[in-house]
Order: sequence, then structure tokens, then C-alpha cells
Amino acid sequence: MKDVVSLTSLREGEIGVVAHAVGGFGLVRRLAEMGLTPGVKVKVLRRGPFHGPFQIEVRGVALALGRGVASRVFVRPLRMESSG
Amino acid sequence: MAKRRLRIALAGNANVGKSVIFNQLTGLNQIVGNWPGKTVERAEGPLHFKGYKIRVIDLPGIYSLSAFSMEEIVSRDYIAVEKPDVIINVVDASALERNLYFTFQLLELEAPVIIDLNQVDFAAKKGIRIDAEKLSEALGVPIVPTVAITGSGMNEMLSMVIAVISGEKKLKPLKVRYGKEIEKRVETLEKLVSSKLPQLCMVYPARWVAVKLLERDVDVAGKVKNYEKGKEVLDRAEKLAAELEKIHGEPSPVVIASERYALANEIAKEVTIVEAPPRIGLEQKLDAMTTHKILGYPILIMVVASMFVLIFIGGNFVSAGLEFLFENLLLYVEGVLSSFLPEIAVELINKGVLAGVVAGITIALPYIVPFYIILALLEDSGYLPRAAFLMDNLMHKIGLHGKAFIPLMLGYGCNVPACIGCRIMETERERFLAGFVVVLIPCAARTVIILGLVGRFIGLHAALALYAFDLVLVFILGRIAFKVLPGEPVGLIMEMPPYKKPSIRNILMKTWSRTKDFIYIALPIIVFGGVTIEALALSGFMDYIIEVASPLINGWLGLPAVTGIPLIFGILRKELALVLLGNVLLQQGMVLQDLTAIQMIVFSLVTMIYIPCIATIATCAREFRWRKALAIAVIDIALALFLGGLAYRLLSLVT
Repeated sequence: MKDVVSLTSLREGEIGVVAHAVGGFGLVRRLAEMGLTPGVKVKVLRRGPFHGPFQIEVRGVALALGRGVASRVFVRPLRMESSG
Repeated sequence: MAKRRLRIALAGNANVGKSVIFNQLTGLNQIVGNWPGKTVERAEGPLHFKGYKIRVIDLPGIYSLSAFSMEEIVSRDYIAVEKPDVIINVVDASALERNLYFTFQLLELEAPVIIDLNQVDFAAKKGIRIDAEKLSEALGVPIVPTVAITGSGMNEMLSMVIAVISGEKKLKPLKVRYGKEIEKRVETLEKLVSSKLPQLCMVYPARWVAVKLLERDVDVAGKVKNYEKGKEVLDRAEKLAAELEKIHGEPSPVVIASERYALANEIAKEVTIVEAPPRIGLEQKLDAMTTHKILGYPILIMVVASMFVLIFIGGNFVSAGLEFLFENLLLYVEGVLSSFLPEIAVELINKGVLAGVVAGITIALPYIVPFYIILALLEDSGYLPRAAFLMDNLMHKIGLHGKAFIPLMLGYGCNVPACIGCRIMETERERFLAGFVVVLIPCAARTVIILGLVGRFIGLHAALALYAFDLVLVFILGRIAFKVLPGEPVGLIMEMPPYKKPSIRNILMKTWSRTKDFIYIALPIIVFGGVTIEALALSGFMDYIIEVASPLINGWLGLPAVTGIPLIFGILRKELALVLLGNVLLQQGMVLQDLTAIQMIVFSLVTMIYIPCIATIATCAREFRWRKALAIAVIDIALALFLGGLAYRLLSLVT
């Protein structure tokens, strides 16, 4: 799929549309249940310190995702200021 | 009107104010689990309303009714099997979409649902108003807006419960329908389930079983397998789920979750009125500061440090007063008892039973109570998830994630609530791993020894070095356990609820119920242990143990043989070990200062690591079963002795 990037490559304030999540059955299912289903908009609120977790907003709720978890969520960025 | 008995259950997401509502409804008479919203145990309390005797059950705070965690299975089985008269679904008005996802699953379970639309004040702050009437129409169930923290709307909600019970208000719950491809398969499977598994359908709705099987729910599949014709149903479900996955290119639970969310989104949009753009309030500024890359850490350190300073200063003050009081009381009781009981019995009662009770009270009240108050404050305000957020990366190094920081921090206060706090971890493996490292954290009682012996006579730097060593140990052991234990590590997926002004009433109620729980677990064990050890001492058996242990204590650890006594008694209450150490040394004509610096360090090191007190072991057994609790105890004792001996030899070389 074109233009699909890992959630971890979004910068603070950027928004992406969830394409899919990669990982074990349990993780993918859990993410969907917390609202991260394909097609939903997520906004990166904060990239955690020291290669830490991500704070995102999805469906009006703030969630913290560990770096490993966030790297398994793939999104289509809505706005990319630069192609870095 | 004749008194009627009712059972109502509170169900909903975490962080929606469910525990506040539970406290409002039931007051102080609850039989309760510890981390509200985070335990498997259900909290229960009585309520009298309009001549009805109501039992209120607080189900754990969960986001779904799948088989992800024990909490979810417990909740759905309770709802389906025990069939409470009414379920109050607490819904956060400021996060309607996500909350409706859960509501739909309650409706699919065909449960009698009333919706408590909570935190409407907070939603208003975010510039959102929910049209309750419209929402009620859409869902076909009554909706009562509330602000639980002030108690507003509680009466209306209870009246609504009664109206539903008496049939005055009829429920016409929404049937959750899926898109064509899913719906077709759900209906096919539903028919098969109701014709092949009539017994199962007496408990669970056939449609619900069908949906769960399509979602590949392991727990429901396990139930179906038990029936004669279960295999046929499972095979069919597998085929249908595979078809769905082929059409959508996603795992079937994701497909179904997406549809539920689409419906939730649709309804939420319809009933949400955006009145004003959200204001950037104090909460957001606090949030930005406390999760800040740099600023967040000094704040975290300050919060934790001031917590302990408060606990220790306050605790020491109250503890000293209480001890003085009880000392005199004990002397008095001894005098009274001696007049008609033999000396041995008096000793046993006084030093065993009463000393245990006093120990429980002098430690529970002064240290545990302020600790619980501050903990509730941190919880209710919403700071704890921020701390977990900051610590996630570090916790990953020992195979855990950020949430584990919470029980770890609790461990510095007391290992008992810390062990219970490990329940916030998602899987059994994670819980045990967290429990394993938590018991190595020096609790308040161990801090008393470290500061009272090493800190006082050698210097603060030595005491701090011991703490630093402990952290390194926690890290190494955590890493080893993480490698040795089978299973996959779980990543962090955690809600970050907005900051809220905590309610004093709720904090006091939480503190009370937790203290009660602590006393129930710890006190009987402390008393029982006290009597046993006192009996050993009185029968002269203790001397024998000391003699046998002498090569270990004296030969290996380099400590005076009599220090075996405080080490053994330390199993009961660790800070008692310091007092006892003074006593046994005195019998030898020595004082604490007569110990060499190395002996002090070795003694403190051993007490820091060897099994956490008996109450902690009992708690571990309750949380992780006896086999694992004993494994922890044995590993810790062996480690303490090994490291103690090693330290003795290494330090002797250096000095």
C-alpha cells in the first residue's frame, strides 16, 4: 500500500488515518477495541521521552501506546509538512 | 409496600467515575476489592431505597466484553449467568463514542441496561452537550445525566431503576445490527447455535454466542466445545469467520469491532451538540507539564519524594505517640492477667497476640493510612497514568511496561498493597513478573532499618548506596525473570484520562476500604505468626534454632549468632527487627554501635532482601497462589544469604 507509514513516524500534532495494525491476534484485536480500527483518525499528541511511548488522541480519548505498540500501527498521514 | 430485594450491577469503562458512583450509593458498608476499577474481585455494598433492599455490585472497569482479560470474562459471566435485575452502565459524556462501544456489548448480552450519563459537567467544559433524550431514543433504554462527584442525579437514577423494575418504564433496547456480510453470517450461526446448543442458550443469548464465535472468542469457544454438538457449531463458525476475513482483509474481531465503532460514531455524532470550542484549561497545561520530556521527570521525582517525606514525618510522629500509649496499656494488661494466669500464658498472650495487634495498629494507622490517602489523591487526580507514561521505556528494560511503575512505587510504602496493585498488569505473566520485583522494593519498615542502622551510624551515603544497590538488583533480577518466564511481553495500551479535581469524600472512602482490607489480610497473619514465634521462644526451641543457624549467621554472614533472633522475628514485621537487634545485643552487653560497619551493612542488606514479611507472602499467595509465593520466598532468602555473605567477604577485603 502506498503512503502508509508507521504511527511512530508522525510528529507531534500530526494526524493520520489508521490503515491497519500488524502483530499478534491479541494485540491487533485490543487496538481495535480501544478504537484504533481501520479508517479512524489519530492525532499524535506527544512523543514520549527517551524513545518512550506515544500519546495519541483517538475518538475523543487520549491513549498512551508503548513505542513497540505504536510502531505496529500503520497510518496514512493527512498532512505531512516535509517528506523527512 | 412489601420490601423487595434487588441486585444491580455497575458496569462501564475505567475512568468514568464508576467507583465514585459506587461510593455514593453504598457508603461505608462495602465489601470491597482494592484498586477500584482495576481488580478482578467485585466490590459489593448494600443500599436502601424506597423500601427496596438493593445489593450494588461494582464490576471492574473495562473497555470491552471480550476474553482479553480476566476482568472482562468475570464481568460478562456475571451479567449473563447471575442476571442482575438492572445494570447501570456508567458512560462518560465527554467520550461518548468509545463508551458506546461497551454499551453495545451490554445490549448484545440482552442485559437490562440503564445508562448513567456521567461527567456531564466535564463534557460541558469541553464544550460538548449530549442530547440525553435523543440518545435514549436511539438506544431504547433510559438515560439519566449525573455528576457523580457532587451526587447530582443519583436520586433520579435510583428512581429510574425502580421504574424499570416495577415495569413502569419499558426497555426497548436497540438491536445491534452489522453490515450485510457480517449480519448474514451472524444470523446463520445464530440459528445453528439455538438449534444445536439449547442448554447454552438458556444462559447466553444465541445471537451473542454467534457474534462471539465469529470474533474467535477463545472463552466462548471453550464453552461450546463442552457440548455434544459443539464441534459442528465451531467448525461452521470457523468457516464463516474465515470468509469474513477474506472479504475484509482483517482479522474477524477487527472487522466486527470496526462495525460497532461505526455505529457508535454515528449515534454519538447525532446526539452530540458542540456548543463552544474546547477551552485550553488548567488541565491541559498540567498534562503538558507532567508528561514533558524534561520537566516531567523532576516533577515525578518531587511528587514521589514529597509523598515519602509526608508519610515518614507524619507516620513517625503518630507512631511514636501510639507506641507510648500501647506500651502503657500492655503493661497494665500484663498486670491484670498475671493475677490469675500462669506466667507462660501471660507471655504468650502479651507478646504473641497483643503485641501483634499493637504492631498491626501502630504500623497500619500511621504509615498505611497516609500512604493510602496520597495514593487515592494521585489516582483520582489522574497523575498515575502520567507517571506510567514517563516510566514506560525504563520498565520495558525489565520486560514490563509503564503501568508496572505504579505497584513498584507502592512497594516503597508497603509491599502488601503493592502486590495487590500488580493486578493492573494485563496478563498473569506480567502480574507475576511485577510481583516478583515488587517484593524486592524496600518498604517503609525496611527503610526504618536501613536508615536507623546504616544511615544513623555509618552515614546517609551508605544508606543511599544500599538503595542504589537494591535498584540494580531489581533491574537484574527483573531482567532474568523476564528472560526465564515463558510468554510474550505485552506493550503499553493505556488510557490517559484528563486531570480532574479529586473529591475528598471519595478519597476518604477509598482509604477506608483499603485500610480495612489491609487489616483483614495482615492482622490475623501477624498475630498468628507472633504467637508461633513466641511459643518457640518460650519452649526453648528458639535457642536450638539459633544454635543450628549459627554457622550460617556467624560463619557465613559474619554477624553475632544472636542476630539470628531479629532476623527470624523480622519475618513478622521488619522494623521490629531493629528494636529486637538492640535487645539481643543488650543481653550480650553490647549496643548497636558495637557492631562493625560491615556487620551493619550486612544485617541491613539481608533484611532488605530476604523474604518480605509474612503478610506480603500471604498476599502473594492470594494473588499468585502458594506455589509461586513460596518460590518468591525461597529465592529471596537464598539471594539475601548469598549476597550477605558475599558483601561480608568483599567489604572485609576492601577495609
